[in-house]
Amino acid sequence: MPAFTVIDHTELGVAAAYWEETGIPTTYDHLMILVSGRDSSAGAGRYGHLQFGDGSLDTGTNYSATNLTARTATPTSSRDTGATKIPLYYISDDDDTANTFGTYKIWIPNYSNTANFKQAFAQTSAENASTTDYTWSLALIAGLWSSTDNIERIRITAGTGNWMQYSTFTLYGVTGA
Amino acid sequence: MAVIEAIATTYLEADAASVTFSSLGSYEHLQIRVSGRHNNSGGAGASIYIRFNGDTGSNYSTHTMQAYNGANTGADPYTGQAYVYAGGRITGPLTPSASNYGTSVIDILDYRNGSKNTTMQQMSGVVDDYSGNSFLWFSSSLWDNTAAVTSILLYPPSGSFLRGTEMTLYGLNSA
Repeated sequence: MPAFTVIDHTELGVAAAYWEETGIPTTYDHLMILVSGRDSSAGAGRYGHLQFGDGSLDTGTNYSATNLTARTATPTSSRDTGATKIPLYYISDDDDTANTFGTYKIWIPNYSNTANFKQAFAQTSAENASTTDYTWSLALIAGLWSSTDNIERIRITAGTGNWMQYSTFTLYGVTGA
Repeated sequence: MAVIEAIATTYLEADAASVTFSSLGSYEHLQIRVSGRHNNSGGAGASIYIRFNGDTGSNYSTHTMQAYNGANTGADPYTGQAYVYAGGRITGPLTPSASNYGTSVIDILDYRNGSKNTTMQQMSGVVDDYSGNSFLWFSSSLWDNTAAVTSILLYPPSGSFLRGTEMTLYGLNSA
């Protein structure tokens, strides 16, 4: 059996506030998501988020996260608890170099078990041809959804704007032996 | 068709100035995994440099976040460069052990999309580099060109990759 299976691949033909996949089968062991995205908002607005659900989307205060982020020469770290979504931090936006898209790489291990809370680990970057502080970003994020429900639904929301045309979202199912 | 396929592996039986992947296939994303060492001992660092499609212009940017030598952390932006700092740091000639190689994983997303510049993410680590320093490096890079990537050149700042360096290029399908 192949270790990786494509569950969904979406390239946006028009801008959209979020990408969402529902009906995710429980037959895999882990999930991986690759996003090549650009946000139509700018500055502090270009700040994507991750949410889960089993059936309906959970918008309650059931998410936590910790991060290591660099947007200047000095990396910083912060935590979120009791949040309504997992912050994925910054991605390239419409003020950045034309045609430039940022990257979210997200691992969600053991997503279908019903005994434990669900974890996610993300590597995210907002690329831009600039050395000016706060016009670029790198972040490592550990996130937690405090639910024993299996993950059947995933939503990745853009910042205050939309995911722009040509943004791509690829969801892989990863099988163990 | 497997979702992830190995496109090519280069294992250096002898020192080499560079490695080029020029048959990239028709995948959605690419990944390069490196176990590398080179003989550059200069102060410019021991990064792996990357160029796409033979472009030697000042069209590349890189942003890095790193931890080094225990308690130190930092971040650096670079733009207008003629290459990508792709590999963080790999080991060089002055390391304590000649068997010590550095590691990098390089993700290049949507590399054939003619509406996008090429962007990438890199994770790398080395315990002893050319001067005995240790590095953990997370970075992203931009090639300011919307052309589909057709070739990838990897090379050290100077000198050669050493015998035993191995680089594997993977393609990730989206269907």
